[in-house]
Amino acid sequence: MASTPQMTGVLPPTTKPAELEYGGDEVSALVLDPGTNTTRCGFAGEDTPKTCVPTYYGIVPDPEDQKYSGKLKIGENPINSVVDGMEIRNPMSDGIVENWEVATEIWRHCIEYRLSSKIEEHPLLVTEPIWNPLKKREKTTEIVFEDFGAPAYFLVKSAVCQSFANSKPSALVVDMGHAYTSVTPVIDGIPLRKGSERTTLAGQHLTNQLRHQFSELGIRMAPWLTLKNKTPYSDLAAAPPLRTKDFGFHPHQSFLDLQQDRFIHEFKECVSETWPEAKTFPADINNLPDNFRGIADKAFEFPDGYQRRFGIDRFLAPESLFNPSVSPKAITGDLPKGIAEMIKDSIDHLDADIRANMLNNIVVVGGTSLLYRINERLNHELMTMFPGPRVKIHSPGQIPERKYSAWLGGSILASCGAFHQLWISKQEYDEVGANIIERRAK
Amino acid sequence: MVGPGFRDDHILLIAPGSRSTLAQLGLPESFTPAKLRFPTRMFPGLEEGQYLPNKVHELKEGEEMLLRNGEVMTAGPNGKPIKKRKVDSASKPSTTTQTSESGAAKPTDGKGDTTMADATDDREENEDEGGDDDEEMNGAKEEGANPKLFYEDDDDEEGAVWCLEQGRIANWEAFFALLLHIHETLNPTFHTPILMISQPCWTCTDKERICQFIFEKLKTPGFGMMDSAAAINAAYNVQNSLVIDVGYDKTDITALIDWNIQEVNRTTIPFGGNSMNKHLHKLLPELTEDEIDQLKRSNICEILPAGVPIPGEEDLDRDEVVRPVEPTTIGMGGVTQPKALDEEGDEEEEEGVTNIAAIVASGKTQEYLAKKEKEKADKKAGLAAGEKRLPNYKRENNSFLYVEKVQDSVLENGKTDHPAEIPDGERMDVDVAPTTTEEPKTVEESSISNGADAPPPAASSEDKQPEATTIDTEGSKAVPDTEANKTGPSLMESMFSGTKDDDDAKRAQEKALRREEKKRQEAAQSGERRKEIEVGTERFKAAEGGILEAIADAAHRVVSSADNYNLRSECWNSVIIAGGGCRVKGFKDALLNTIVAKYQVSPSSGTIFTSELPSNIPTPSGTGTNTPQPSAFSSQQPNALLLQAAANNAALAAAGQHHLSIPQPNQGPTSIKVAKIPEYFPEWKDHGFDECMFLGAQLGAKIYFVTDQGANKGFVTRADYNSQGPQAIHNI
Repeated sequence: MASTPQMTGVLPPTTKPAELEYGGDEVSALVLDPGTNTTRCGFAGEDTPKTCVPTYYGIVPDPEDQKYSGKLKIGENPINSVVDGMEIRNPMSDGIVENWEVATEIWRHCIEYRLSSKIEEHPLLVTEPIWNPLKKREKTTEIVFEDFGAPAYFLVKSAVCQSFANSKPSALVVDMGHAYTSVTPVIDGIPLRKGSERTTLAGQHLTNQLRHQFSELGIRMAPWLTLKNKTPYSDLAAAPPLRTKDFGFHPHQSFLDLQQDRFIHEFKECVSETWPEAKTFPADINNLPDNFRGIADKAFEFPDGYQRRFGIDRFLAPESLFNPSVSPKAITGDLPKGIAEMIKDSIDHLDADIRANMLNNIVVVGGTSLLYRINERLNHELMTMFPGPRVKIHSPGQIPERKYSAWLGGSILASCGAFHQLWISKQEYDEVGANIIERRAK
Repeated sequence: MVGPGFRDDHILLIAPGSRSTLAQLGLPESFTPAKLRFPTRMFPGLEEGQYLPNKVHELKEGEEMLLRNGEVMTAGPNGKPIKKRKVDSASKPSTTTQTSESGAAKPTDGKGDTTMADATDDREENEDEGGDDDEEMNGAKEEGANPKLFYEDDDDEEGAVWCLEQGRIANWEAFFALLLHIHETLNPTFHTPILMISQPCWTCTDKERICQFIFEKLKTPGFGMMDSAAAINAAYNVQNSLVIDVGYDKTDITALIDWNIQEVNRTTIPFGGNSMNKHLHKLLPELTEDEIDQLKRSNICEILPAGVPIPGEEDLDRDEVVRPVEPTTIGMGGVTQPKALDEEGDEEEEEGVTNIAAIVASGKTQEYLAKKEKEKADKKAGLAAGEKRLPNYKRENNSFLYVEKVQDSVLENGKTDHPAEIPDGERMDVDVAPTTTEEPKTVEESSISNGADAPPPAASSEDKQPEATTIDTEGSKAVPDTEANKTGPSLMESMFSGTKDDDDAKRAQEKALRREEKKRQEAAQSGERRKEIEVGTERFKAAEGGILEAIADAAHRVVSSADNYNLRSECWNSVIIAGGGCRVKGFKDALLNTIVAKYQVSPSSGTIFTSELPSNIPTPSGTGTNTPQPSAFSSQQPNALLLQAAANNAALAAAGQHHLSIPQPNQGPTSIKVAKIPEYFPEWKDHGFDECMFLGAQLGAKIYFVTDQGANKGFVTRADYNSQGPQAIHNI
């Protein structure tokens, strides 16, 4: 409001207001942060993404469809509706895009859904994990320019965004996401490949552990959508018959799994808790030592109405993030390192002169970091591992800032003036090809 | 800020919806429901890219139409007008469908003209913007440039372009034409700011485009957009809420926390009022879409609360919704499908006196008596006439009055109301005949009546004859003039007095029925036809097509993904169900019940979730101090939840200890309630709160434009627009 608006009183009602039409066209950049669980997108300069659509998609077999041999169902509502034969899949694998055709559709949906009907008008900033290989980076570049027709584009490592979002140019970023927990050292805005680590001990792992735990207990994990109604009970032996809906077909198992994830997610939010200390979690939870300190039970009601109190067993799945050997569902193959071990490894890989700086600037973000008391545990573990230098964990206090940390950092980057010189323009892409990304954005 | 700012009476509110767009100029002292309602559709004009508010027909060769001055114009070759003549009652033209429509067009002509006149007076400058092109097409006019004859038709919806689809703007040109039309109809002064209610699914670019249009075409000094969910929330004035806005083809579900829309998690599902229509149509395939729509709007269509059985169906535990697409509920009960339309007996039962009249007149008395016998047998099954006194939910069958807009009304000069001339056969199959097949009949029949040039009804004063008109109002329909409207009701009064004398005991009940009918008739305009349609228990199943469950599940997803978990329960405690789609009787309760039944954590365990720790156990700290002896872990006690609830009741003290972690939420919702309807808006009380979005718009406009004067950037000023362009809309 630089000038005084032409308000009434100044003009008589019958006079037409002066027409100083708006001339220039400044289009704001879009920031796209694709993850395994959700894909986030929004305008640069805003503090939360405007859209957050599931990266999971449904596919209803249809032999007539040449491209996907089925009908794609993308978005929150389609994948949460019961459709005969719909299978739920994910275009991501290993935290990076595997199925490009579908991923492109999902990105497009994410942008066009509520942001902009003119995808070709906006510069686009995309985030990527640090382990994204060259081939995939080039492919992303190709899609952004060829499919979306973006005027300008840039690819940024999500760890860099996350450290920026926490206003730290240098940080050890611990990103606890859905598919992966990764540790990336960032020095002055540059991510270091050396010293970056990742493990699958993350949200999905927790979900699978809990699913296993529930089925071991004999809990019928009927999700909401398949039930007509619930009947409260708390004795599994005397469980009333399930009041399921008859769809006339059996929903695909992958659909049921996704629906189960919904209440498992709720369980993670409300009941799961991290044991706050390193190495004191009882080895055998069914045979606790006498001097063991008490913990509070928490009750949970499952969609079919089953209510159960969870005691020490609600600590089990989170504990497996730090100590994979206690996983309720045995991990096949080599036992991965726990999260704290991984952070230690990362620090050990770094030059000695930056270790203290890193330990003092540990940034913990990602949806799984919202697990109750997980930061206390991390803090405790790291204090035990590095008794000398000062260990300091920084974690945003606001839930959206944790969940959308990478997006937020991207939003900050894309909106700052200096960044505008970094954009790769369509012209450059046309001249050099997809390989431009390797030259311009390491 | 300088200047006195905007005045209450100089604010334009526009709330576009998928079916109708609400608009109002000025804020009244006490906020009222929207004064104007426009269908959200336009018709392609004569030129490419032009849109008009009403359907325009070209007069074809040999067709005639009535002009305002009482002249009839007949179109000649190439659409040129060839002759004019006065119409008198003696020379009734042999009508065609198109011709008669001019009757309907008549009132519009006048209205359109005045609008144009106003526009010309007040805003001469605007005229040359080309915006007023539409108006020129108004009415039947002979234009120099285009010698063809055109006329507007209010009722014809064929070829209509609906501007919004599931809230999204499907046709921009039409939408802008509509905005222009609204703006011209209301004709505000130059310093009238505009507040528009935005649909949640509008993208940022959509909003920019609208903003640009508003500033550049409508020349407003200020423009604001208010999200529909925010407006609904504002009307209810609650801090945290879950807004469920049931529309025509979609339902928007939005959680608001601290007055802020939870943008990321909000959702729009493709279920709305129209999904209920579709479902009903599946159940009652013999009815036309229009009939279905009116059935849904009638008061016999309701959604029964849980535990109230559908009459005639034994199963108390009825299947609310079996599957989203294919209803399998059909034929659940034994006697549920009375197929009223196949049995003439039922039809007679409903049409009552009318049909007796018809039957007697047509000499079908024998058949009729046989049917009466049949009815008596039915009485034992509880289907008899006495059942009419039962409340709707106890009756297996009930009927509603279907009002059909008849487009092919006869050209009349307004004096001859002669309703008694309807062939009896026609009336008998009124129920069976779908609208489409009826139309030609009407024409035919009308011409019969014209040929006979019947005496006015008062003359045929046998008490049975006029009764026919109460139900089958061919007469009033046939009269396009307002005069007929006035005579209509009084006519009916006399008929009713005639009926009173009748001995038949049944009449008494039917009188009540007809009184209701009469009311509707009075309210209804001419050019309509009414008939009764009886439906069975299908009328209770409107919402069984999956809409309730879909909304419930989406609502649960929306709230469960709200980031501030501690306020989720607040949202559940003020659920707002609004929108035109939820007007079906019982819908709101049914929806709430569905949500509660499935997603509310049972009350018996409710209190346990208020606290994480039992009050008698100190918080275990990281150092191991305050470590009590193990409490019972045994989780399998039958009443575990209650025991814990009792133990936990008062302890919340521990929460502050966990510095690094965000406090853990409790499983919820433990209670789900509907937000309280605000009480201080008397005008809205009668109107109902389904459109409370408009109330919120008025409140918003008052705050943004009048109280606040732009201090908090509640709207985009012309200066903002000039400096920032359409994107300024995002900065408010």
